[in-house]
Amino acid sequence: MKDFEEIGKEMPYRMPEHFIEDITERVVSKASVRQSTVHVLFPKVRKSVFWVSIASAAAIALLLLVPFVASDSQIPDYDSISQCKSIDEVFQSMSADDLGLYSMMSNYYGE
Amino acid sequence: MESNSTPVVGDESIVGMLGDEDRVSDGIRLMMQKYGEPLYWHIRRIVVSHDDAEDALQETALNVFKYRNTYSKDYPFSSWLYKIATNEALKVLKNHAGFFQSLDDLGDSLKESVRPESDPSADEMLILLQEAIALLPAKQKLVFNLRYYDDKSYEEIHQILGDNIGTLKTNYHYAVEKIKKYLNEHTI
Repeated sequence: MKDFEEIGKEMPYRMPEHFIEDITERVVSKASVRQSTVHVLFPKVRKSVFWVSIASAAAIALLLLVPFVASDSQIPDYDSISQCKSIDEVFQSMSADDLGLYSMMSNYYGE
Repeated sequence: MESNSTPVVGDESIVGMLGDEDRVSDGIRLMMQKYGEPLYWHIRRIVVSHDDAEDALQETALNVFKYRNTYSKDYPFSSWLYKIATNEALKVLKNHAGFFQSLDDLGDSLKESVRPESDPSADEMLILLQEAIALLPAKQKLVFNLRYYDDKSYEEIHQILGDNIGTLKTNYHYAVEKIKKYLNEHTI
């Protein structure tokens, strides 16, 4: 019996010709596509511009939310609605303004 | 058949290029020029099939590109590459194994694919040696291949596989015993 060390380190398989060159170009091509995609989505911007943009977006979001937070409109929550026995009770729990709004929307959508 | 390619560029240059957005493509080319073939054979010894080795090598190179900024220079670049390549090769095998099989259950099917994958003119002993390796449990196979074929030190194998050196030596010892036994049973 031969010891495996006498058999040597050669492999019984073959690697196709130009395999490494071909796979290298394939990888480079895929990597370039990924790189360019990242650059399109996140172009090199100065950090200050980035943070100013983030702060602006946050300020706009806050301004849009202020009317809702500041107003004291009585919108029935889910719990109060689910505890009502009938749809009439839901209407009874709505304020005059809410009913007016509901009526206007109903007319608008033709219900 | 396998041939050893001469290292042409230092790892530091390759790492430098991979970290430079304008020279990434050159970095990948140099990395593949230096390590493409050794990594291919490392993967192929694990997965046996050329098609699987091709998939795993491509994923290895793409992962190097994807995670290039996470590479730490405290760690040898070649060990990092071998670690990624080993993970990709094992991932391919796990896909073959499915949910209910472990990697070690694949030994018989890997062994069966050694002969069809071999070159018709290949020496019978080379085929038998690969069959013996295919039957080894995954950890023993990895340690044996890295030590015997890639001439890695136990320290390097530790960097690649993460096990402590005592465990690695034990794995290598068992692998050698099993290979000798298989060759003994299959040769006159």
